[in-house]
Amino acid sequence: MLNKSFILKVLVLVMIASLGLSACGGSPAATAPAASKVATLIFTQEPDTMSPLYTNMYFSQILHQTWNVWTWQYDEKNQVYPVLVKEMPSMENGGISADGKTITLHLREDVLWSDGEKLTSADYKFTYDMYMNPKNTVSTTYPYDQIASLETPDDFTVVINFAEPFAPWLSLFHGILPEHVLQPVFEKDGTLDTAAWNKAPSAGIGPFKFDKWESGSYLRFVRNDKWFGEKAKLDQIFVRIVPDDASQVAALKAGDGDLGIFISYPDIPALEEAGVSVVTVQSGYSEGWFISMGPKAHPALQDVRVRQALVYSVDREKIAKDLLLGKTKPGASLWDNSPYVDPSLQPYPYDPEKAKSLLDEAGWKDTNGDGSRDKDGVELVLRYGTTTKEVRQSTQAVVQQMWASVGVKTDLTNYDSDIFFASYGDKGPAYTGELDVMEWSDVYQFPDPNFTYFLCSEIPSDESPQGVNAQYLCDEELDGLFQQQATQVDTNARIETFHKITKIVFDQVYWASLWQDPDIWAVGKRLADVKLSGVTPFYNAEAWDLK
Amino acid sequence: MTRYIIRRILQGIPLVFLVSLVLFIMMQNMGDPLATMGGRSVTRKEDRARLSRQLGLDQPVLVQYFYWLVGNDFVKIDIDGDGTPETYGTRKGVLRGDFGTSLVAREPAMEVILSRLPNTLILMLTSEFVVIFGALLIGVYSALKQYSLLDNIVTTFSFVGYSMPIFFLALSLMYIFAVNFKRWGLPYLPTVGMYDPQVGDTPAQVLIHMVLPVVTIAVNSFSAYSRYIRSTMLEALGQDYIRTARAKGLPKREIVFIHALKNASLPIVTIVGLDLPFLLGGALVTERIFAWPGMGRLFIDHVSRGDTPVVMGIMVLIAISVVVFQILTDIVYAWLDPRIRYS
Repeated sequence: MLNKSFILKVLVLVMIASLGLSACGGSPAATAPAASKVATLIFTQEPDTMSPLYTNMYFSQILHQTWNVWTWQYDEKNQVYPVLVKEMPSMENGGISADGKTITLHLREDVLWSDGEKLTSADYKFTYDMYMNPKNTVSTTYPYDQIASLETPDDFTVVINFAEPFAPWLSLFHGILPEHVLQPVFEKDGTLDTAAWNKAPSAGIGPFKFDKWESGSYLRFVRNDKWFGEKAKLDQIFVRIVPDDASQVAALKAGDGDLGIFISYPDIPALEEAGVSVVTVQSGYSEGWFISMGPKAHPALQDVRVRQALVYSVDREKIAKDLLLGKTKPGASLWDNSPYVDPSLQPYPYDPEKAKSLLDEAGWKDTNGDGSRDKDGVELVLRYGTTTKEVRQSTQAVVQQMWASVGVKTDLTNYDSDIFFASYGDKGPAYTGELDVMEWSDVYQFPDPNFTYFLCSEIPSDESPQGVNAQYLCDEELDGLFQQQATQVDTNARIETFHKITKIVFDQVYWASLWQDPDIWAVGKRLADVKLSGVTPFYNAEAWDLK
Repeated sequence: MTRYIIRRILQGIPLVFLVSLVLFIMMQNMGDPLATMGGRSVTRKEDRARLSRQLGLDQPVLVQYFYWLVGNDFVKIDIDGDGTPETYGTRKGVLRGDFGTSLVAREPAMEVILSRLPNTLILMLTSEFVVIFGALLIGVYSALKQYSLLDNIVTTFSFVGYSMPIFFLALSLMYIFAVNFKRWGLPYLPTVGMYDPQVGDTPAQVLIHMVLPVVTIAVNSFSAYSRYIRSTMLEALGQDYIRTARAKGLPKREIVFIHALKNASLPIVTIVGLDLPFLLGGALVTERIFAWPGMGRLFIDHVSRGDTPVVMGIMVLIAISVVVFQILTDIVYAWLDPRIRYS
């Protein structure tokens, strides 16, 4: 059988295969960049647009610090510091008026756009106008829609007037638009929706400037020599789009990437073993339960004792340890790790006996011996829904068992996130009140503590189909406190109000923490001097260097 | 023949419209594009109301389809939210070549699609070529040397490849040839991407980066084709005309490739003709794992954000190419088998 021609054919096949492999296997020297310092970031999602007008997408926004800085940014301790202004406006320096309705910005006079034009107050006015112009389909008009008027008395002064004192003013001017580039575009097209600048910004302000965006592949930023600050040590920042989590990990391990984010917990040990540092950064997010109290919700949830029992009966420490490798822990409040949380609050302990007695006290007992508690003929069976994210599904399964052990049964459901978060108007399961307990990770307007989900006016209805109060919660005292804090420009007074808010939310279990949900970054061996902020992660990009 | 082609094209036009209407309606149930516009937070209700008005998402689905098809530059819309329509729309509609603006990328949907189409074609056509060429070689060999050692070996391996989940195969190849080969100091292949941007998109770079994705796709779809060719070849080789050809003393090469293969390839052409339009859709899993910037990824990224203009653009493109490739298949039929006549 093994005749000459057969052996010859096999040999030819083997040769072709080996030629293919060796010819295609580039040697390390062949692909290494020649002499230039390039850091490669790995993003699992491609930014949608560069323009701050049109995106709230995380992967677009975190790039701003490289090419189009914010007026103020946040350091690794999430403390704010001035960038394009000479100093942070405050009541002491007169930047904030005594009545809290006027904020004055004094711009630095040495700031140049990457094309050499000077940054002036006209750029600020233009940015405000473009956010508010209905011809632009901007992703959000907040917080610009809170401004009553904006004046520019000279080239480097911006005066912002609010109708009411507006505490979250720090969320203004995250990225400025270059008037000299975009005004002619707006005049010509009548909108900035399709401006070329959105995809390829020819002018920005940052340690780097935009160079190239190859759709689906990569984005490249090169050092900006017109940057007024310390010149960047790297020649290029290169963002590679790798949509698959497992491939991201492989690329980081192979050294094809220097920085990655949203590393999943199970991948941490393998990355650390390969010499990649894993850094957790608090970005205000918390994974938790939004417990529904709406007309369609289970009647038991109206009783605070039942809500407390749900929390007491779940060993959240164990979930953090088993499912999240102990890299995080349960929290007490949505405002954890900030000055706004009442310092006396500690997470509810795991105490199933206490849970049982609370449920008994509330009148929910298993009278028919079917394993679930009941009252007046209604069984205590809760609909517990979340997205399809793996760790959430695992959590659901664990919680289902723990709740069953205290006599609470659950029906588990999972949805793709665009369906789960679809509005009341679009009949999303969360906002139409189809679920009793909803789980997701969320944040207040970090780093500003403002939060709108608990407002009575946000309850979804036919008249308000876009309301964001998925719990149908309306607590008048809480509502009043939320309204009050939004107008408190005095930080200490606002903190005091928030201590009351966090206490009520905690005691009433309007929201319950499963775990604090920090961002998990992976920093490769080559990359040095990286500091990461929870708000503006790449705030010190100019100092990044290669070892 | 010409009349036949024209008739088929005319028949295809209403079909594409019907398909587009069904897809458009289905697309409206794929999720809310505004739900993800808040980034990591839930979209504010004021923004939802404003955006659905500005983007025309507050209109009934048939009206939205109508605007998608013929544009809305002849109707006034209320973009400032005062209840009075005051501004003419800007969309020209698909019939006038405007597929709309992507809700995600904020650039014309067709530009978004065309930026990815060549990448997908490079990957998928190469894979298809490797698959067909390899399958022909192996299929013909297996048919000629039925139950030989090589036939058994190849059959076994092709079935192992066929039954392996594609993500497992892709990641295994990546870990072996990219991660571990590099660690062991051997010549290695790149993990992800289409080329190293530091070097540029040279043919050599694209070729290197294409090896693993092409192998993944080929290994996975190799066995179906080769088995098919093997069985049709076996059938053809048993026909009377082959015996006649042999009896006439024709050379073996001519019998196999001219007489047997040409006749055996008729059903294969049908399969390839049906497969080709779907190459435009890209290879979802393979593109994702190897970060290949193709249509499959584009499609899934934009479906998940409810980006109707881009998703509809891709689907219409595929629908049109299905019609075109069906006509081409018929033409190839006539060439392969002179008995077939279209009138």
